[in-house]
Amino acid sequence: MTTIDTGERRRGADTRPVITELIDEATVEAIAQEAWISLVGEDEVLVPLPGEPVADPLSSWVDVVGPWTGSVVLTTGRRTAEELTRALLREHSPEVLEDEDVADAFGEIANVVGGNVKAALPGSSGLSLPDVGDAPALRNPEDVCRVDLLWRGETVSISVQGALPPLPAH
Amino acid sequence: MRALVIDDSRAMRRIVSGILEGLGYETRQAGHGREGLDVLETGWVPDLACVDWNMPVMDGLQFVSAVRSNPALRSMTIMMVTSESEHTQIVRALAAGAHEYVIKPFTADAIRDKLALLGLLPQEAVL
Amino acid sequence: MTLTTTSFDWVRQLVHRESAIVLQPGKEYLVEARLLPIARQAGLADVSQFVESVRSRPSPDDTRAIVEALTTNETSWFRDGDPFTALTSTVLPALLAARGPNERLQIWSAACSSGQEAYTIGMLLEDALPNAASRVSITATDISREMVQRTRAGRFSQLEVNRGLPAPMLVRHFVRAGNEWEVAPQLRRMVTASECNLAAPLPRMGPFDVVYLRNVLIYFDLPTKQAILRRVRDLMRPDGWLFLGAAETTLGVDDSWERVVVGRSSAYRPLKGK
Repeated sequence: MTTIDTGERRRGADTRPVITELIDEATVEAIAQEAWISLVGEDEVLVPLPGEPVADPLSSWVDVVGPWTGSVVLTTGRRTAEELTRALLREHSPEVLEDEDVADAFGEIANVVGGNVKAALPGSSGLSLPDVGDAPALRNPEDVCRVDLLWRGETVSISVQGALPPLPAH
Repeated sequence: MRALVIDDSRAMRRIVSGILEGLGYETRQAGHGREGLDVLETGWVPDLACVDWNMPVMDGLQFVSAVRSNPALRSMTIMMVTSESEHTQIVRALAAGAHEYVIKPFTADAIRDKLALLGLLPQEAVL
Repeated sequence: MTLTTTSFDWVRQLVHRESAIVLQPGKEYLVEARLLPIARQAGLADVSQFVESVRSRPSPDDTRAIVEALTTNETSWFRDGDPFTALTSTVLPALLAARGPNERLQIWSAACSSGQEAYTIGMLLEDALPNAASRVSITATDISREMVQRTRAGRFSQLEVNRGLPAPMLVRHFVRAGNEWEVAPQLRRMVTASECNLAAPLPRMGPFDVVYLRNVLIYFDLPTKQAILRRVRDLMRPDGWLFLGAAETTLGVDDSWERVVVGRSSAYRPLKGK
């Protein structure tokens, strides 16, 4: 039997949900905003506007394994990641920031955002320890929920992206 | 009063220790559950342990279970501080013996509020 | 249009006066972000205009809305603790002894804001009484429609549920809803929320056994405070209990109340013959 691909995901015998069925951009934004208030500062505001593409990107992410499996990836410029680190550490900020300091702080932000995204998903899921570096590749363009935010004028993107490639079309 | 802060993120350890020290606590840190148990084994027993969940080597839930099965550590209050915030996760943590649970994202006041509820503020809380 | 220094200073002083919370310079961003929804509701395009309009014609409702919007993350469950522990330790047993077994206890949260107070009361009663929902009803009122809607919805953010709510109570009385927490259906059914302006003649409600009128009288002048206390008293049982904010008192305002020590808190009871 021929199935016409209308561009909508057809599930048929496949019961894997895509992220857009489980969470929306507004929720991811709200999660990010609360994380920023807590970690970066009470008067911090994230503006949901696209910014300049990130020149020297750094990403941090956590993996979610459960009824939906994928990663919650934060991406921003390296300099912005350093500013975030200083904001997190406040008066404990060292004179010179090592890569390790940035990885630790930026990773923790991914932990907080990722943990809360996971909790907004149905069912029970596991959360990995954070990782930092080049963003994991996008496996399925249909299985992504992405928000672009501006923090102090700098771009911060959050991509909730599925780990599994799309099913082959029939 | 003494507190042990256990989290694999150095930044988070500093943040939580900073909050507790501001409330009058003397603090020590550990990077995962096993390191936390090592601190306790030296004989330094805190009044409070703030424990993350997801950590390498030994996670927070395992730490809570280990502590709860040790009668010598009965006086220690355990507060989890974690981004794990599913309903079932919180229930599991409380069932394993954690006394309180702070969800990340939290503010300094949230920790102070919880400590006030537990009667663990070294000085009178000023609202 | 950014907030002018004069406007910001006025807001800062207002917030400090009414809530003791300090807004540091540099927090103009926060004031802008938090007051914009209220400014819009007032039909104004920006926060500066709104603040100026309230400055030139202060009203208790507007000033309260401003203070609440800026202290919203400060709102906690079991605020000040003792007026709530007093409920289960002293007030509830006294009422159960004084009332018949089929009489429903009525409690009023008279400036309910986003609902934390009403649901705090509900949680305590659910944990203290079997079949609390059939023994007690909680009326939650506020002048703000938005706040009444929030109370009805019973939804709170992660940051909000962290504030003074014991974790065991969180898991007993809340379910997850997206990235928020929602009051469980049984608890939600105990609370009925409606709009009510305390400074105007009150609708027929109650009669109430317990009233929580906390941190709202401070926004009114003396004659209005007196009028409000009179109206509240008229809706209370003669042996009812009134709880005010931690720094509030009827002393010097209305002498028809008797102050009673309840645990580490105070309550006010209608004085007989007054």
